[in-house]
Amino acid sequence: MAVRRSRLELVFDILLAIQNKGGRIKPTHLMYKSNLSHKLLNGYLEELLQRELVILEEEPAKKNKRPLKAVRITDKGLSFLAEFRRMREFTDAFGL
Amino acid sequence: MFRLFFTPGWFNGFDLLFDSIGLVVALLIAAYSWRIYSFNKENKFIYFSLAFLLVSVSLAFKIFTSGVLYYFPVRETVAQVLGPVAGSRLKYSALFYRAGFFFQMACMLLAWLMIFLVSQKSRARLTKFYEVTQIGLFMYLLLVVSVISNFDYKIFYLTSSVLLSLIVLNYYKNFITTRKKSALKVMAGFLFILAGNLISIFLFLQNGYYVAGQVLTLLGFLILLQTYRGVMRR
Repeated sequence: MAVRRSRLELVFDILLAIQNKGGRIKPTHLMYKSNLSHKLLNGYLEELLQRELVILEEEPAKKNKRPLKAVRITDKGLSFLAEFRRMREFTDAFGL
Repeated sequence: MFRLFFTPGWFNGFDLLFDSIGLVVALLIAAYSWRIYSFNKENKFIYFSLAFLLVSVSLAFKIFTSGVLYYFPVRETVAQVLGPVAGSRLKYSALFYRAGFFFQMACMLLAWLMIFLVSQKSRARLTKFYEVTQIGLFMYLLLVVSVISNFDYKIFYLTSSVLLSLIVLNYYKNFITTRKKSALKVMAGFLFILAGNLISIFLFLQNGYYVAGQVLTLLGFLILLQTYRGVMRR
């Protein structure tokens, strides 16, 4: 059975999915990449926006279509990712 | 003058330097574990931090007590400070050394116990009532061991070696699971500290074993420091 991801690991997975897509991703893609439901992802995105780890950007609209939204990772989000990697390495090394 | 065991005279001071390095390494690990706790609020990190803090407190007690024993001017100063309490002839100076060694041994054994429990990865640990009471019993027994060790130092090194063997076993399992180089280094670090403790049991045969024990323990802490640096460089 797969181990349940902690809240912090979910945040890490979301930010990692954005980073792997070059720092910018569409919300629907993010939902698939981070393996979360729409409702859960929205909850987490709201928190990430509040903490300024990501920002929402609007892509220019194509003909007769609504403008698309994209999620971009901030510098603060990138440094959080680096810090989380260090913590995970420490946790793995010391068997915590 | 009270001595738990006799060490080679030429080595006096070097061991204090070695212990100071161990103290700094333990403090660094404790501080980072505390930082992780402040990040994710998981109890195991605060226990791990506390364990390494206890290692550093133990080493601080050792440095202080041994420093007073080795160096005459420091002994004089301590005698002056303790004078009003212990009387002009300082009849109870042995009590001071015994107290110093007791705190050193009790802190170290409690630290190893905590590291062993945290590295066991049992979810019920430190939360369920019967587990906590068992840990309470272990702590009591370690305090008793620390008191008895004041009369026969071998008991301390023997108990410490048993606990460290269990820690090494846990870290071996961790390395098998993760297959990470850093996990192997942590296991190696504790293995060296264990070897240092095992050699120290045989101090009664020859005091040169103290030097070997201290060098091995220092190597253990240096490997832990290298692992810590490796993590920080990421």
